[in-house]
Amino acid sequence: MEKKDIGIYENVLEYISLELSNILKKIPATYKANIEEIRLRSGAPLNIYCMNRDYFVTREGMITNEKEKGVMVERNDIMKTFQLISNYSVYAFEEEIRNGFITLKGGHRVGIGGKVLYGANGIDKIKNISSLNIRIAREKLGISNKLVKYIVDFPDSIYNTLIISPPQCGKTTILRDLIRNLSSGIDLLQGKGFKIGVIDERSEIAGMYNGIPQHNIGPRTDVLDGCNKKDGTMMLLRSMSPEIIAMDEIGNIQDVEAIHEILKAGVKIIATVHGNSIDDLLSRRSLNILVNDRIFKRYVFLDNSQGVGTIKSIIDGDTFTPI
Amino acid sequence: MIFLKLIGGFLIIFSSAILGFNYGNRFSKRFENLCFLEQCIKILETEIVYGAYPLPDALSNVYTKGNKKVSFIFERIKSHLLGSREGDVFNSFLSVADTAKDELSFKDEDIELFLSLGRILGSSDREDQEKNFRIVLNQIKLLQEDAKMEMDKNEKMYKNLGILMGIAIVLILL
Repeated sequence: MEKKDIGIYENVLEYISLELSNILKKIPATYKANIEEIRLRSGAPLNIYCMNRDYFVTREGMITNEKEKGVMVERNDIMKTFQLISNYSVYAFEEEIRNGFITLKGGHRVGIGGKVLYGANGIDKIKNISSLNIRIAREKLGISNKLVKYIVDFPDSIYNTLIISPPQCGKTTILRDLIRNLSSGIDLLQGKGFKIGVIDERSEIAGMYNGIPQHNIGPRTDVLDGCNKKDGTMMLLRSMSPEIIAMDEIGNIQDVEAIHEILKAGVKIIATVHGNSIDDLLSRRSLNILVNDRIFKRYVFLDNSQGVGTIKSIIDGDTFTPI
Repeated sequence: MIFLKLIGGFLIIFSSAILGFNYGNRFSKRFENLCFLEQCIKILETEIVYGAYPLPDALSNVYTKGNKKVSFIFERIKSHLLGSREGDVFNSFLSVADTAKDELSFKDEDIELFLSLGRILGSSDREDQEKNFRIVLNQIKLLQEDAKMEMDKNEKMYKNLGILMGIAIVLILL
């Protein structure tokens, strides 16, 4: 497993400027296998995020907590890295840049920071790019296996499920694996697989690259990449006849409207949301509606106490008691 | 003896005529290659502005669709770009500058214009790329006019001069 993780890391280094990637190649193997983010900020030391902590990297490829020893990232490094990430073709990624990120082969995502310019139709472009956040995507196949039995609604359906956790605890990872499990077919339902429509607004679930999902999302899954949840819901319901619709990071009132549309069509929902507790959800106006209407029958809370995607508790949506 | 002198004289005239031809041909070659370069840049513009192909693919397409006499440099730029991983398109353009000068008879100002394309290529959005292509294509027109004028003025002259020089040398030697 570690070898595969190091391989993934080394593939990502192909997108980083030669000077910095030569340094990053030298970091110890444990960090290579567990790295989650590589952060480049113009005029700041090279920063990595690994095993829930952040570290700086020295010119010799050593890991340190002292920012003074970290190798400085120059503007030129950012520009070269950005060129490599965009395959020397900024013009081909206009839409992605406007959205603030580019998806790389392998499903890794690069967040972009810089000067945002507005045009007549909202954000026009990002200029003077000053920081890049390369998030390394690692599939965790099987992470949702234990969860499946709690969301199955016998004889042949599932409960509407909401996955809740703070950032960086594996919401999307567990959602993706759940989609894979349900799409591939589950033993509890005699191998039945569901037709799943995924609305992948931020290209995080399937990690589409040139129309090909970079993650295993199962054989019965259709993806609407980069589509907002309201439009995506209507498109899927009209033409793709899904049994389940999956979406990431719900939160605003349009998402709630989309979920109501899904319910009207008798389709099940799996979604994720940022949060810590039911009270936290109730404090937000749009989510309050969903909780009070008892739309979700299963609330799955995650943390990273035993690694990313640890299931902290599963709560019944009618009685609000743990299962 | 006279026979030998005749052969020698003929050889001198022949070689100096070739010299003159070669020198004269450089002017027509430059003009011709500037026309082919313009064609290649127009293909590149279409690939980028309308097709939004990634730069390495766009360069490959220019090589395939353009006249091979000039388009081969775009394939070399692509190989350098992917091979070096420097993250700098300009350096890849720079790597073919000498080839362009030697093999395509380009002058320094032609090379400079070609390199200016490398400075902006791929680094901005489509609208900006299109503007820059317009500027480069306008400038290449001016260079073509200049090359045409030079060709009209010098090509025939150098060709004739080569033959005449040969005859003059033979006459002096005789």
